[in-house]
Amino acid sequence: MVPDALCAFTRTQKILVLSPDPTLARLFDAAFTPAEAEVTVLCQGRGAVEALFTDPPDMLVVDAALADIPGPTLVTMVKSENVYRQLPVALIMDETALGPDIDWCAVEVDELLTRPLTSAMLRARVTLALARATRSLDANPLTKLPGNTSIIGRIQDLIDRQEDFALAYADLDYFKSFNDKYGFSRGDEVLMMTARIIVNTVRSVGGPTAFVGHVGGDDFVFILAIDRVEEACKAVVASFDGIVPHFYDADDRNRGFIQSVDREGNRRSFPLMAISIAVVFNRDGRLKHFGEASQTAMTLKKKAKENPKSCYVLDKRQG
Amino acid sequence: MPEDLRTERKGRILAVRDLPTLPKVLEEVSKLVERPDSTTEQVAKLISMDQVLSAKVLKMVNSPVYGFPGRISSIGHALVLLGFNVLRSIIVSTSVFEVMSENMVGLWEHSLGAAMASGTIARMLHFKDAEEYAVAGLLHDLGKVVATVQLPDLKPDIERVVAERDCFYLEAEREVLGFGHDRINAWLADHWKLPANIKEGLSYHHKPHLAQLYPEMACVVHLGDFLVRSFEYGYSGDVGVTYLQPEALKILKIRPADFEKLLDELSGQLVELADLRFT
Repeated sequence: MVPDALCAFTRTQKILVLSPDPTLARLFDAAFTPAEAEVTVLCQGRGAVEALFTDPPDMLVVDAALADIPGPTLVTMVKSENVYRQLPVALIMDETALGPDIDWCAVEVDELLTRPLTSAMLRARVTLALARATRSLDANPLTKLPGNTSIIGRIQDLIDRQEDFALAYADLDYFKSFNDKYGFSRGDEVLMMTARIIVNTVRSVGGPTAFVGHVGGDDFVFILAIDRVEEACKAVVASFDGIVPHFYDADDRNRGFIQSVDREGNRRSFPLMAISIAVVFNRDGRLKHFGEASQTAMTLKKKAKENPKSCYVLDKRQG
Repeated sequence: MPEDLRTERKGRILAVRDLPTLPKVLEEVSKLVERPDSTTEQVAKLISMDQVLSAKVLKMVNSPVYGFPGRISSIGHALVLLGFNVLRSIIVSTSVFEVMSENMVGLWEHSLGAAMASGTIARMLHFKDAEEYAVAGLLHDLGKVVATVQLPDLKPDIERVVAERDCFYLEAEREVLGFGHDRINAWLADHWKLPANIKEGLSYHHKPHLAQLYPEMACVVHLGDFLVRSFEYGYSGDVGVTYLQPEALKILKIRPADFEKLLDELSGQLVELADLRFT
């Protein structure tokens, strides 16, 4: 982590400003230290677009008073490329120019800054836009839980601070066959249910390190204090096993298995879904890097998967 | 009954917000959720005694916001999925009846008795998820509560018809409202996205042999309703018992010997309940 970084950002934020206005450049200088943000000011739109596409910044600030390309047009050019859609864009204009004829639904900006502008206001609005962008970019679109970037950031941060914690990786057995038979939207129901169980359990077991993330698909992560993790695992397993049968049609539930197609294309029967949890511990700063934690967890996960029923496996070497 | 009047009344029924309950269970649940050592099981057990709190919890967990509408029929599961935060906000936002009539207290007792009876029948018949039968038993007269709250001006008329004609409450509802509480239950179950088995229990408990998808559920609630009336526990709005559909016993395959066992068990449970007060 960069010392004196802005908010919880792990590195200096790159901000590209397109404006012919020299006072704006001075305002940015006053608003951010070089460690917080590296601000590049370009006074023309045309050459900037190429630079923008090859080396995208963390945030783009466009002045409506740009001489060669109208600000909103430039914003639309950037936003219509799906890979840059998540790039937060702020539009700067004079407050007096805010008329009723602007169609704000059509202008794809994420933030609006109006002149007259102070450096304090500039700092606040730009920082908020950056923070908001990481949240929405990272959150799992289905469950809205923090995604990979936040998960890795959280784990690495705990490792760096040499804090004791338990890291649990959870996933579902036979989720794929359920999805194949019942379709994606029924699969999403199960993921939403699983997320609720994990979040509520972790929240009620509590503790200062409590955290839940959604890696994607049927993979979830949670972090808890070492002495509380086993209680949480037991509760998650019990709740999941009690609730999941209700997500099957009545006849499948009564039979206790479903007919579906395996990876080789053969019809066979699959048990009802189960949850497997692998738990890794960090004691006395033993872990040095996030990768170590996830690797150990994956090895343990294989062990948990040998059991077709829901279960959890604790890392014995330190557990 | 003109169609537009019926539509207007249905609209008023479904517009129900902030359904009030009786104070006793609400107070106890509030105390329990504030205690740091209380468990989900304890809270679920208490909520399962109150038809309004149970309905609110199931309505919430089955709402599309959470992403799995129509899946959850158990109060315990609902609490696990909602979490204590949401539960606390449900409890805080629930009001109590301003005027508490004796009949309303009687209806709460009748509903709890029917829940207990339905659960006992389901367990005796070794049905899976017996708790869900108890939930349907608990909620089987919810339509009466909602009608009282949403169409308060018509409640005295229903009671007058019951007294004057010496007819069943259901018949009086149909005459005064244009529909019975069983129909209201079906509307509410659809509107709140309650699971199909609960819906059938609620909307077919007076004609269980007509239930299409879950006839056992409708028959269990029908029998539970009948039995709790026979034991004269609580007050459903009728003096005496309703007609017991013989088909219900056939569908459930209940033999006379089972019946005796059932009555013994129920009378024991109702004696325990007799100490409970809703006010």
